[in-house]
Amino acid sequence: MEKLTLKVTRTGGKKVSYELKYRKGMTVLDALTEVRERQDSTLGYRHSCRMGICGSCGMTIEGLPKLACQTQVSSLKTDTVSIEPLHNMSVVKDLVVDIMPFLDHHRSVRPFLMRRDIGERDHSDREYRVLAEEVAKFLQFDYCIMCGLCYAACPTAALDPLYTGPQAITQAYRYLADPRDEGWDQRVDLLDTSQGVWRCHMAGACSFVCPKDVDPAKAIQMARMEILKKRLLRKKGRTGSRLVPPAPQVVATEGTKPPPFDFSQASPESK
Amino acid sequence: MTEARRFRSGLLSSLNPLGFNVERWSYTLHRATGVIIVGYLMAHIFETLQLSSGPAAWANTMAALHSLGPLEMVGLWIVAGSALYHGANGIRLILNEMFGKLMGKPILPVYPYSPTSLGRNQRIAVWTITAVVLTLWVWAGFYLLAGLGVV
Repeated sequence: MEKLTLKVTRTGGKKVSYELKYRKGMTVLDALTEVRERQDSTLGYRHSCRMGICGSCGMTIEGLPKLACQTQVSSLKTDTVSIEPLHNMSVVKDLVVDIMPFLDHHRSVRPFLMRRDIGERDHSDREYRVLAEEVAKFLQFDYCIMCGLCYAACPTAALDPLYTGPQAITQAYRYLADPRDEGWDQRVDLLDTSQGVWRCHMAGACSFVCPKDVDPAKAIQMARMEILKKRLLRKKGRTGSRLVPPAPQVVATEGTKPPPFDFSQASPESK
Repeated sequence: MTEARRFRSGLLSSLNPLGFNVERWSYTLHRATGVIIVGYLMAHIFETLQLSSGPAAWANTMAALHSLGPLEMVGLWIVAGSALYHGANGIRLILNEMFGKLMGKPILPVYPYSPTSLGRNQRIAVWTITAVVLTLWVWAGFYLLAGLGVV
């Protein structure tokens, strides 16, 4: 491939073609940057890290939601690449979409550790340890970079903007599975709605496009299991957690250093 | 974007599985077959409702249906295929959604990524369902077309 043509859908739906020289190793983001720097400075797109970490450069490339920085032009097997803004989100300019509704869904599931003791939350001076097997239950879902590709690929979100969405439900499940979290009941209630987990129809497109293998489809089905446990088995809160208790609070007085905490005292194996 | 435009573009995007995984195709087929089944159910209720208007009305309805010729049987064949696919795929979805089966367990992602929820077990289930449904559908086709004297 010598020449590359980018067919970019710009604001208003107009498709504009840009021709440029192909370089080996060129990503779609490289190509867009070259277009903006040398041909059309008005072209709008969002990017930041260029290495698949920030999740800013999500766009629809050849019909599929992808990160532009991680998509090699050579992998698309075509010399005419179609680029559109992400679906299921309104366009701000050209390839830049409004991610606020997506972030609102994320916020709605309270994606943070909830503790019953508010004082402890606001003035935390203790460290919580988590066992490796407990971490394994939620670590995969913790890798989410909030790029919005799963939301753009979801056929349910396409029809129902009120649907919580795969990303938000995955984050909710990440905390449902975290033994340090004490908001199990509250979070299960947040998800157990007609626009929550029950709206998913298991198309699996979210997991298919996820650039970090967070696997939202799996998290959604696991969140359903938690809800069924609460509703059918009358489970009240998280039971059987092997959470290692926090270190006893040590009040340091001025001029003294708190003694180092002996972790062996706090492990469940020592009890 | 107006609500109507958003819904229209959402509907198109929701029904388009091109380039996506096999489960996404399965989703679209499940929706389409669901619509066909609901359509058939409505027509069936309307058809049997004619009985309440007397034997003559019923005979007229049946005559109108038979006047469609082979199209009647082809229609029934499509309904049979839809019911078979919707039912079989529905069992897979119940296993997925109500029992968390075929989804795999949380893993530590290692590049190149391959989501376990769309892994080998899920693909085997999807392709087994497709094969069984196609076989039964062909059999149903022979059965229905034999009634027409085609085979």
